[in-house]
Amino acid sequence: MTQHWSKRKEGGGHFAIWLIRTIGLKLGRPFARLCLYPITLYFFLRRPYERCVSYAFLERALGRPANAWQVMRHIHRFAGTLLDRVFLLADRFKAFDVKVDGLDQLTGRLQPDRGLLLLGAHVGSFEVLRVLAQQPDAPRVCVVLDTQKTPALTELLHALNPEIARNVIDASRPSTDIVLAMNEALQSGALATLLADRAREHETTVVVDFMGAPAAFPTAPFLLGSLLKVPVVFCLGMYRGGNRYDLYFEAFADRLDLPRRMRQAELQAVVQRYAARLEHHVRQDPYNWFNWHDFWNPDATRGGTPARAGDGVDDTAVTRSAA
Amino acid sequence: MDTNQTPAERELAQLLTESLNIDWVQPENIDPEAALFGSDLGLDSIDALELALAVSKRYGFQLRSDNPDNKRIFGSLRALSAHIEQHRAP
Repeated sequence: MTQHWSKRKEGGGHFAIWLIRTIGLKLGRPFARLCLYPITLYFFLRRPYERCVSYAFLERALGRPANAWQVMRHIHRFAGTLLDRVFLLADRFKAFDVKVDGLDQLTGRLQPDRGLLLLGAHVGSFEVLRVLAQQPDAPRVCVVLDTQKTPALTELLHALNPEIARNVIDASRPSTDIVLAMNEALQSGALATLLADRAREHETTVVVDFMGAPAAFPTAPFLLGSLLKVPVVFCLGMYRGGNRYDLYFEAFADRLDLPRRMRQAELQAVVQRYAARLEHHVRQDPYNWFNWHDFWNPDATRGGTPARAGDGVDDTAVTRSAA
Repeated sequence: MDTNQTPAERELAQLLTESLNIDWVQPENIDPEAALFGSDLGLDSIDALELALAVSKRYGFQLRSDNPDNKRIFGSLRALSAHIEQHRAP
């Protein structure tokens, strides 16, 4: 895997990476954050699809039509977490005020020969989890990341923190390799992380209620947890603006027991429970929702209008791959 | 249906159907040359892991994620069985 990245070294996005590192790490976070305002405005004006997604989502979450300021705030929050990624990956933790809630839910379930599955979502910043690295005897964390779809991020990761890069499980490899790699990581006592709110194309999903409407969630993260016989902990790093993050750990299951091809109802109930925890946090702070596609209608096109709250979810057209 | 399974393949087919709760195909009817995943059997990556775990339990060796031949090894009953016979604990 390491060899794969070194081969990519001269690849595209090199200049962008250099720019982010120079502005962010050399000139500092406060200066870099000033750049977020024009970036937010640009994004708001030039990305109509994402703008529509934000309007529709905020209306659903807030229970009333959203205005332009709220949508820009949503975009600004997102851009802020992307920038902070650089600092978190470079281990510059002093820049942040991170409140950790429920750490004992995590540490109490760790064993040297049996890791733990952390289920996150495309909400807030999962990278805030990196603050745990400061602790003595911090467990190794393995993230599943598609290095083909996100070459720029992969390169950034490799440049900033080769130690973490070594622990990336490449999601562009055949799926058999991914699950085997996760199993090996867990057997060595590592934390394996999965974002369980987005299914890849052709992945099996189950439809559960989420924020007042049916939404499809992938089943694989839960089946993996069941198969690998590891405790599952729910984890979200919510961005509260400025330099503040709230990192939450909630015990999800000490042991999921989901026999394959049987008891679909049990699987449904487990995924529904995940969706309910996600909804709880997202309703508290909707500006942390970073799924920039029509979540309730994933097949809707880029050019189409995302379904508003209460709309039917059948105005489909061409499939759009997830961002 | 005669699928020309070797005894080793027959044993693996039995393990496969049992560990994955497959009841729509009899083990002796699995074509040893046919694709295991994404085809008639309809197996996915979760099944692959479950099968890998069952194999390591039964044959005493681990299928590794970093084996560059995984695609071929998991390709068919015959390929997987050959790999197991080559590496299984004595």
